[in-house]
Parts: sequence; C-alpha cells; structure tokens
Amino acid sequence: MTQQETHMVPPPETDTPAPPDGAGSPPPARPDAPAGAAGRRRPPGTERSPWRVFLRKPSTLVFLPLLGLFVLIAALGPLLVGDPSATGNAELLAPSAAHPLGTDHLGRDYLARVVNGGQISLLVGFTVAVLCMTIGLVVGGLAGYHGGWMDTLMVKLAEFFQVLPGIVLALVAAALLGANVFIIVAILSITMWPAVARIVRAEAMRISQLGYVESARAAGFRSVRIIWSDVLPNALPPVLVATSMTVGRAILIESGLAYLGIGDPSHPSWGALLNSAQAYMRDGWWLAVAPGLCIFLVVLAVNMLGDALNDAYNPTVGRVK
Amino acid sequence: MSSLILFIAVITVLFFLLEMAPGDPIQTLVGDVPLSEAFRAQITAAYGLDKPVWERYVLYLGNVFTGNLGFSFGTNNEPVLDLILSRAGNTLALAVPAFLISTIGGIILGSIAARTRKRWLDGGISGGAVALFSVPNFWFGMLLIMVFSIWLGWFPTQGKSPYGQPGIGFEYLVLPVITMATSELAYKTRIMRSSMIESLGQDFVDTARSKGLSSSHLLWRHALPNALLPMVTVSGYSLGYILAGSVLVERVFGWPGMGLLFIDAINRQNNMVILGVVIVLTVVIILVNILTDVVYGLVDPRLRAQFSPQRTLPPEGRQDRQSDEVAA
Repeated sequence: MTQQETHMVPPPETDTPAPPDGAGSPPPARPDAPAGAAGRRRPPGTERSPWRVFLRKPSTLVFLPLLGLFVLIAALGPLLVGDPSATGNAELLAPSAAHPLGTDHLGRDYLARVVNGGQISLLVGFTVAVLCMTIGLVVGGLAGYHGGWMDTLMVKLAEFFQVLPGIVLALVAAALLGANVFIIVAILSITMWPAVARIVRAEAMRISQLGYVESARAAGFRSVRIIWSDVLPNALPPVLVATSMTVGRAILIESGLAYLGIGDPSHPSWGALLNSAQAYMRDGWWLAVAPGLCIFLVVLAVNMLGDALNDAYNPTVGRVK
Repeated sequence: MSSLILFIAVITVLFFLLEMAPGDPIQTLVGDVPLSEAFRAQITAAYGLDKPVWERYVLYLGNVFTGNLGFSFGTNNEPVLDLILSRAGNTLALAVPAFLISTIGGIILGSIAARTRKRWLDGGISGGAVALFSVPNFWFGMLLIMVFSIWLGWFPTQGKSPYGQPGIGFEYLVLPVITMATSELAYKTRIMRSSMIESLGQDFVDTARSKGLSSSHLLWRHALPNALLPMVTVSGYSLGYILAGSVLVERVFGWPGMGLLFIDAINRQNNMVILGVVIVLTVVIILVNILTDVVYGLVDPRLRAQFSPQRTLPPEGRQDRQSDEVAA
C-alpha cells in the first residue's frame, strides 16, 4: 500500500534515553504544572502511549467490540443456531420470528447458514494476515537490514506478485489446485505478503541507520539478534496497520472467489451464499443482504481499526499549519 | 528490460502451473461421453499435446512474441487473441469510464476533504470513503440491481444491449460502471486527502499564503500539482485493479467482457484462453506502469524544473520569478 509508505513514523521511544527513575513508573509530577490541561504539550518522554490513544479513540470504541462480536459469533454461533443444511418445507420465507433472516430456496434457515458462513471468512482473513505478517517481517527485515542481493531478490519477487493483481493469480491457482480452505489461505498469503514486506523493508532500512542499531553493531551483536530485538519491534506499528489492511483485503478476495464459485463447497462462506443469492434477487432480497452486510461490517471494522492505529502512532502526519 | 523478464516469468509460472493441473482437458472438451482411444489420440495430436512439455513451452513462448496466443480449446477452435480482442472492447467500455470517474472524482473529493480537514464535510467524505472501500464490489453491484433495476425499474438487470441488438446500450452501462468505479474512487479519495494534507503543510504553501493569495488559488494552483504525484502512481496501479475486478463486476451484470471469458475458461479448463487473458492483462499492466513513470516525470515539478528554462534561475532570482508568475 502506497499510502503507508509515505507516512513517516516518529522516532521510536527507545531512541531517547529512558528516564532515570526506571521504566514504567511515571515521571515525578512537577508541582507547578497545571493539572489536566487539555491539549497541553507534554515534556518529551512522557507523551501518552500510542496504545492508549488508540484504545480511547471513538472509532476504536465502536469497531473493536463489533469485530469481537463477529469473532464470538463465528466461534460459538454454530453451536447455538440449528443445522445449516437442514431443509424445511417452507422455501424463500421472508424474515420472521421463526426465521430471523428468512429461509433460502431449499427452505434452509438462513440465520444458521450466515452464522456458519462467517467462520471461513474470518478464518481466512486472520490466518492470511498472520502468515503475511510473518513472511513480511522475515523477508522484509532481512532485505531492509542487509541490503545487497537479498534486497534485490526480495524486490524482484515482490514486483512479480504486484504485476498481477492477487485475485487473478488466486483465481487461476484455486481453479487448478482445487479450492479447499488451506489452498485458498496459501494462495492468498503467497500473493499478499509483498505488501507487508515492502513496508517492513522501508522501516528496517530507516531504523538500521539509527544510532542505537549502530551501537548494537559496534557492541558485536549478531545481525539476526539486532534485527529481532532492535529493528523489528520498532517497525511494528506500520506493520500492524498494513496487516489490518491485509485482513480486510483477504476477506474481500476470498468472498469474491467464493462468489465466482471457486471456494470450498463443503464449508459455504459468505461469498458462496451471495453466489446462490444472485438467482433469487427478485423473490428473496434478504438472501443477498445479510451475507454481504456481514462481509462489509467485518472489513469496515478492521479497516477502521487500522486507521485508528495509524492515527495513534502518527499523530503529526500532515498537520495543517 | 526488467519488465520483459517479469513478463516471461509470469508466462512461465502460469504455463507450468496449468500443465500441472489435475483433470483432463480433452474429456472436458468432449463432455461427459466415453472417448475412444483413437479419437483421443487424434485430438491430442491436433492440439500438439503429444509433444513434450518443454518443447511446447518454448514453442508457446516464441509464438507469444509474434502475437499468436494459441487456439481456444473449444468447438470453434478460435484463435485466442481474436477471442480476447472481441471481448476487450466491452471490458474497456466499463473500465475506461470507471477509471476516469474514480480518478477525477478522487482528486476533487480528496482535495475538498483535505481543505475542510476535521470538519463535518471532511468527516463525511473520509468516512464514506472508508465505508465504500470496505464494501465487496460484487455485493454493491447486487444491491444496485435490487434497488435500481428490480424495485425502481430504471435500469436493465443484465447484459449490454437490448436483446438481439448489437452495440452497447447506455442504460446498460450505468450500473456496472458505478460498481466498478466506487471502490477505486474511495481508495483514490483517501490517497488524495492524505497527500493534499501533506502538500498543504509544506513551506511553499505558507510562503504563498503569506503573499495573501486566496485559499482556493492556494489549493488548486500551488498545493494540487504537488499533491498529484502519489495519485499518478495510484492511478497506474488502479487500472490493473479495475481490469482484474472486472471478473467480478462482469459476472454480476452478465456483461460479455474479458472477465466473463476468463471465468468461463477457468470453469472449462480452457488453458490457452486462461493463459491468453493473463498475458494480455500483464502486457496492459506493464505498459501502464511504464506510462505511469513517464507521466510522473511530466507532472513532478522538481523533475520538470531541470528542463524548463524559467526554473534554472539562481535561488534568489526564483522568488521574483514566482511572484511574476502569480501576477501574470
């Protein structure tokens, strides 16, 4: 994602010497400082932790619980709703008390199907994001820190995957290899890691120039250790933002594949439900509404949380004077 | 040069991927009927499938550079390139308007959001952009069909022209173009907003403001040219995404373009068509990337300064020249 690359992260806190009174404990309060003055500039080193800024943002307060709710429903919901493949004799019933989301063309309870469908989308989204973050951290970290042939190789590989948009490669590969959940996760991870790796690489290049990495090198630490304990932790905030975007994009691509009929037939996901809903748009509008709304809300939640995280870590970006 | 290597790499990977694919394309071609050995051998030879993989690969690669993408694995045996070209126009009829709408709209909306930063208008635009960016675009298309075609009856639901008539009907074009444009519009608005905010924070904008220029002049004449740079890059990529996304949009609207051809080929294991579509897409994307670099050079004021005689003045003279320009 280009937009994250343009955002420069303020120098990490570890760059400044820790307060002498020990980490974690608040600095001694100055008696002359006015208490609780809003918007007051804090002395260096005592800024509010970005995590707390993030957790107190209004959008976080809305979307973190929303995402949690979806995860909870995906984890426990299938136990509470009935059998998603049990057919009834009432086909295409509009939403009612007995069937809160109506029934589909085979008389199956749609709520049960939507709740079960969420598992695949969320599983794919989060697994792909974790895999991309892992690959991205390793490859991007090594490339950015070492440079040289490793860097060249990584940039070329990333370029290869960026020429063709992920969905095209995913379509071809999923159609060829068959489409179970593992294969889809693998394909999406392979096509989507470069986005994360490029950000890690840029961060690693920047951080490698900083003084404390220089001194770690002078102290004779091995480079793997420097990357692991000095470079990567400080590269984490932009990486987390990119990862949250990966969750959203993976869910969108997975549902798109399933909508095109390329998905795991034994575990229908939200995209697959929309695929069959297309034929009944005239007679059963509710079939097309619920699964799409779920995809939308989950992707919106992860994107909003990514934005909030980005804002919390880069409060000064683009401040208008 | 590196584009050429990239291009060959894409073909190579896909060629061998398709080669490894399970399933029997000849059986798929004939359908679900028993196949005699003699007939199978005849078809295999007719398509050149009896040659070793490497030989076919080298042959195919050579053919690609002469514009021969092989023959469709179907009853008509059409050349793949003709098949693609016959559909490409339909896809471009969606992609070009979607590209223009999303780019121009993104520049305008993003600039307005940046100008009204942290006020309700910005909140509305930015919030709307994140929301649209998160909508699965095929679902958005389905909703449009439900509301505007089924309930209101303003637009047709499917296809590209009235039954049996050639060409493209305007009323058939509206919903798919909107569907294609929205998520790109949202993305470009976000990019434009952040790059415009950055641009407005630069020193030369302060300088211009201190000269008492109106804020709209400041925005459109001074900040905009600089803020456009990231947009050029994003627009380059976005054409690729629009073309790739056409697979979904064309499926929703039953639009007979390259995307539908692609899905069809995948479902029927029509390997030559799959390869052909991907090759055409790759060529377009690589060309657009090259074009993006050229446009970037034309738009970037710093690069342009090297060639423009006005800007080669010594630093102290440049200030005067700028104020002259403003006065003119």
